[in-house]
Amino acid sequence: MRYDIAVIGTGPAGVSAAITAKVRNINIILIGPGAMSWKIRKAHVIKNYPGLPDISGDGLADAYDKQLKSLGIEITDTKVSMVYSMGSYFSLQTSDGMIEASAVILATGVVSEASLPGEDDYVGRGVSYCATCDALFYKDKTVAVIGYSKEAEAEAEFLAETSEKVYYLPVFGKEYKECGIDGCIDGHAVQNYSVSGKYQNPEVISDIPKEITGGLKADTLVCEHGIKKVDGIFIIRDNIAADRLVPGLQMNGGHVSTDLSMSTNIKGCFVCGDITGTPYQYIKAAGQGNVAALSTVDYLNTLRKGM
Amino acid sequence: MVKKIKNNDLSEVKASGCALVDFSATWCGPCNMLAPVLEELSEEMGDVAFFNADAEANMELSSKYGVTSIPALFIFRDGHPVSQTVGFQPKEVIKGWIESNMK
Repeated sequence: MRYDIAVIGTGPAGVSAAITAKVRNINIILIGPGAMSWKIRKAHVIKNYPGLPDISGDGLADAYDKQLKSLGIEITDTKVSMVYSMGSYFSLQTSDGMIEASAVILATGVVSEASLPGEDDYVGRGVSYCATCDALFYKDKTVAVIGYSKEAEAEAEFLAETSEKVYYLPVFGKEYKECGIDGCIDGHAVQNYSVSGKYQNPEVISDIPKEITGGLKADTLVCEHGIKKVDGIFIIRDNIAADRLVPGLQMNGGHVSTDLSMSTNIKGCFVCGDITGTPYQYIKAAGQGNVAALSTVDYLNTLRKGM
Repeated sequence: MVKKIKNNDLSEVKASGCALVDFSATWCGPCNMLAPVLEELSEEMGDVAFFNADAEANMELSSKYGVTSIPALFIFRDGHPVSQTVGFQPKEVIKGWIESNMK
């Protein structure tokens, strides 16, 4: 089954877009943390949201939850790792399989982690984001896995089946475990951590990666307390930059290029909220979500006429 | 149509004025998503010959061209690689990239 719209993100932008689309009787799927974006919940008090004076973050999230339920909108709590623009539709790779939609609204917020120095220069020349795709090129070689999320452990173990040596650098901190949500990554190396997999091979390194260097290919991972000579570096993140989530998406600095209709350079892909840039405000995000939904409905109408 | 490269044999690629070679593998998700996009482009772009090489079955070629991440796309002009890109890209982006390398 193909949805009309997949809305990714459960902050004010995504929730607002989902509500507007649903009111317009569109077949949608809303994907994100089921308890709403942690960025809403962490707010102490919101002073400038019309109609809801001095509401707390929790209060706003609960109100969203109530409104979604009253409209019959369920949140699909899964992680989207890739959005493929296939021409007249989109394929979303999620932790629970593929989802298809005619249009996509991205409301995933801003990513706080920047690329490592050197990372972007060596993509495809020693830097990889997919162990299952690229493990074969590192058969009997030395690789490092930088894990910004727990899922990296499985990737490290997978690589250990074929590679000669696997260094595993888990860089999600204590705080990550405490809050259990994306974005709480504090960049500290994990201490006293071990991989209890089938293969003893991955060597856990408690250090913080600083830079990727090399010649034609990446060959060195520079960390705070030393360097590792490697043939390849796999980087596994929870929070993915928008242009890595949606290949081909045009960016402007750290944000997605958009206009007043919330459209992007990719047909059928719309954006709203913090992903579009500053100001990072709940009410702005909600307003943009409304515009994005209406623009997407217009797009769906032209798509249908064209067929 | 996208032709399969077998036994590391690039002779047909080298005989084509402008060719696109896609290094991929069946178990690679982004590769599988890219395949239908390239198939469509091959129908639309008559001036370009499209090829697919299974990166593992053609390991010699993969090493020769420094493929370490798939899908990897190469544009060959008169038998020589002139440009390369890694990862899935939408159809319009790949089309633009090929066109800019044909001139």
